[in-house]
Amino acid sequence: MSSPSVAVAKERLKNLLVSDRIRCAPDAVDRLSNDLYYTVSKYMEITPEDFNIEITRTDIHIRYTGEKN
Amino acid sequence: MGEVIVITSGKGGVGKTTTTANIGIGLSQMGKKVLVIDTDLGLRNLDVVMGLENRIIYNLVDVIAGNCRLKQALIRDKRFPELCLLPSAQTKDKTSVSPEQMKKLVDELRDEYDYVLLDCPAGIEQGFQNAIAGARRSIVVTTPEVSAIRDADRIIGLLEASGIRNNQLLINRLRVDMVRRGDMMSVDDVTEILAVELLGVIPDDEQVVIATNQGEPVVGDGSQAGAAYERICRRLAGEEIPICDFSRPEGILGRISGFFHRNQGGGL
Repeated sequence: MSSPSVAVAKERLKNLLVSDRIRCAPDAVDRLSNDLYYTVSKYMEITPEDFNIEITRTDIHIRYTGEKN
Repeated sequence: MGEVIVITSGKGGVGKTTTTANIGIGLSQMGKKVLVIDTDLGLRNLDVVMGLENRIIYNLVDVIAGNCRLKQALIRDKRFPELCLLPSAQTKDKTSVSPEQMKKLVDELRDEYDYVLLDCPAGIEQGFQNAIAGARRSIVVTTPEVSAIRDADRIIGLLEASGIRNNQLLINRLRVDMVRRGDMMSVDDVTEILAVELLGVIPDDEQVVIATNQGEPVVGDGSQAGAAYERICRRLAGEEIPICDFSRPEGILGRISGFFHRNQGGGL
């Protein structure tokens, strides 16, 4: 018996929606994320852990969690 | 001033027409004056689902072309006196109606009804643009499948781009047994991904097929799907009805704990 298929469905769907929403190929999402990280890192000290990109139907959010205590 | 609601999905075959028919009939049974309009030019279906296919004389294209007066094209449903159908044309020419003409027609009609429901064709072509032209809000129908949810996301984006911001989700054909064993996305999974307000959930129910065979609605027939459509109608009319996501055993506690709050934001 195969493992439950929902996890696969959700993963595929999330990738599809991100590329649909910015109308580009899935690997372009990764390249965009890398470029955005690189650009921000020129002006601010950031680490990948602090840096999060979220793409919605209308916006691209860059979240920087900043200094941690 | 009546509410103008477009029922849309992007993907075909997810239950737009069945939903339009049952919500239209359900609202009319609550005493609301309802007009349902089939905007799928060339593939007329709403009349068949409603069992009114033998009563069509004029259609939407005739009204817009001025071949008849509006009143001559409206079909009154003898079973539901508050309900009218404006059928679509079975012609091939999908460009015979423009979004401007649809908007003008709907604007003229909305004062006379409590609800005008527009059954939208599948796809994102001109038929979609026609259907949404006069609408102020939408019901986006999806099933818990990757392709249907993907198309629903696309449609919500297009609706928002057209200025329609009141978009609510209807999840159709949910199979509780498959959700339980992890082989179908749950209501939570779908609403998390699409991030729009949930209007309701219709369980997969063979009674829908049986009723559609007979040209009868499921609302009022005592079936699970019928009861779910009735709750959606009451919610549309402004009643606070908790959403049953069918993930828990039936009963009052299960229904209350299945209540969903408005899902804010748009993240993945």
